[in-house]
Amino acid sequence: MNAAATQLIARRVLLVAITVVFLLPVAWLISTAYKPSSQIFSIPPRLGFTPTLEQFRSVFSYFHVWSLLKSSLIISGGSVILSLLLGVPAGYSLARSRSRLASLCAYFFLAIRMVPAVAALIPFYMVMRDIGLLGTWWAVIIINTMLNCAFVTWMMFSYFRSLPPELEEAAMTDGCTQMGAFLKVAVPSARSGMIASALFCIMFSWNDFLYPMFLTRLDTKPLSVALLTAYGTKDITWGTLGALAHFSTVPIVLMALFLNRYFVQGATNGVQ
Amino acid sequence: MAQITFHDVSKLYEGSYPAVHNLNLDIRDGEFMVLVGPSGCGKSTALRMVAGLEEITSGELRINGVRSNDLSPRDRDIAMVFQSYALYPHLTVAENIAFGLRVRGFEREEVTRKVKQTAELLELTEYLDRKPAKLSGGQRQRVAMGRALVRSPNAFLMDEPLSNLDARLRGQMRSEISKLQRMTAVTTIYVTHDQVEAMTMGERVAVMNKGTLQQLDTPRALYDRPKNLFVASFIGTPPVNFLRGVLISAEGGPAVRMGSFTLGLGGRFGGLGPRDGQQVIAGIRPEAFRIADGAVPGLNVAAAFVEDLGATLLLHLDSPEAEVVPASVVEDDVDLEAVRPRLRAVVDGSLKITSGDRLVLTVDPAAIHLFDASTGDAL
Repeated sequence: MNAAATQLIARRVLLVAITVVFLLPVAWLISTAYKPSSQIFSIPPRLGFTPTLEQFRSVFSYFHVWSLLKSSLIISGGSVILSLLLGVPAGYSLARSRSRLASLCAYFFLAIRMVPAVAALIPFYMVMRDIGLLGTWWAVIIINTMLNCAFVTWMMFSYFRSLPPELEEAAMTDGCTQMGAFLKVAVPSARSGMIASALFCIMFSWNDFLYPMFLTRLDTKPLSVALLTAYGTKDITWGTLGALAHFSTVPIVLMALFLNRYFVQGATNGVQ
Repeated sequence: MAQITFHDVSKLYEGSYPAVHNLNLDIRDGEFMVLVGPSGCGKSTALRMVAGLEEITSGELRINGVRSNDLSPRDRDIAMVFQSYALYPHLTVAENIAFGLRVRGFEREEVTRKVKQTAELLELTEYLDRKPAKLSGGQRQRVAMGRALVRSPNAFLMDEPLSNLDARLRGQMRSEISKLQRMTAVTTIYVTHDQVEAMTMGERVAVMNKGTLQQLDTPRALYDRPKNLFVASFIGTPPVNFLRGVLISAEGGPAVRMGSFTLGLGGRFGGLGPRDGQQVIAGIRPEAFRIADGAVPGLNVAAAFVEDLGATLLLHLDSPEAEVVPASVVEDDVDLEAVRPRLRAVVDGSLKITSGDRLVLTVDPAAIHLFDASTGDAL
């Protein structure tokens, strides 16, 4: 066996090992949901078990799963739409600005995204309480938008910077206004950048726990918060937790699988 | 159709020299005008000012007699072809060509008809459904042309449209663009740094350098009667030779003495008068040199190396007798002054000349361009 082949095998083995490390918790999560409660913590862990839907039955009897899903969708959807509506034009104007401060400004937006979530929580909580939005979806949508929009602005800034300005100039000589050139040429050309930033925003909002935990009520809380309810005062219903986690994981995983190439583009093209 | 006039137009960027300085240029209706010059000479800025993509700092731009300094690009009804083609990547070829018509609210049937017509003219019919990314460089260039042609605009502005093509395709597109322009008779401003394009395409050529118009003339006049050292050195390939000299009155009339080589000027200046003794730079085109046979007095040179171009030989020559002045052109950011100046001569390809050969060159006095050594202006 030559050196190249050895290296190839070593690389494959390493990749498999890394994949196993990452997938083990997922496998454990999935298997938990289909095991009878008595077998979840059997030592040694048993690979052979009779799958049961018992955990899912109890999830549906204890939780309003559809209402939780609805909340999660409304919060992440609402935040993504608002973030794109604000962040795309903002990123574009920064990218086309001739000011030397434009780059600095874009990085300032990125810095907003770095602020620890907890730091903003208390003041934001009080603001929402005073204007009467506490407990509504709006409270979470607004604070998620604040953070997501900063990220979208920075990401779209990088995207539009890599787009030649001649495209919009051509559109303007073709008869567009500046706004027309932006909407008809720049925006469609940056479609993949917009999808990539939308995906990052959805992931953040869908998985966000801290803000909805404090800002929503019983009827507006999303899946991420409901998962905590599985922690009872006396015991933890691991099986229920595993089953409920399906609903919070599967949509995101599917989305990531289908829109995989935009993630890659987002991580490469946009960042310059 | 449009007449475009620059009247004392300047463009200043903050903290740098003027990109365009007091430009006066009158482009006639239906004319093919070429703006040529090295990179950074202000030619593209001038073009972008016509398109409305660049603000005018001072002066006046008139399109069809109307002051247009502050008109938005869309209100000028001008079509532009960009160096990068700037095709809309998310639209098909047909949609790219139709874009300008759609934006301007043309009827759907008319758009379809015009796109079809233009595609046929440019042989793009079979590519109409493709996206620009799936086209070759030449095809993209034609789509960019199509996008400009389809609207029948007031004027075409072309910003180095051929510089991204390979040499062969460039030659072909050169003649195609000229043909299309003659066919449509639309006023065209064509910007290039390539003097071959300028010479072969333009009805008139404006040579620019450092933001200033150097000379505006027909290609032939630029070659035959350059107004200054810059124009002489920029127009013509291989570039002109400059030799330092002095005007003297010799026995047979006025002459120019270049080192130990003296060349009679025939009757060009009559009597020299106050010019006697004036320091000059003599410009001699490589193709104006003749190889002297026998004992005719001439410039003694030695061939440093020889490039055989088939029909002709390009000789690079060292002359111990005359001082060769480097051309003052900076092209592609390479300062040619850094290169050791040598004489260049183009001679018949059938001659047997190899490096190291000693030759005697003569020049027809009528083919010499004389420039004032201090101002650089033609005498």
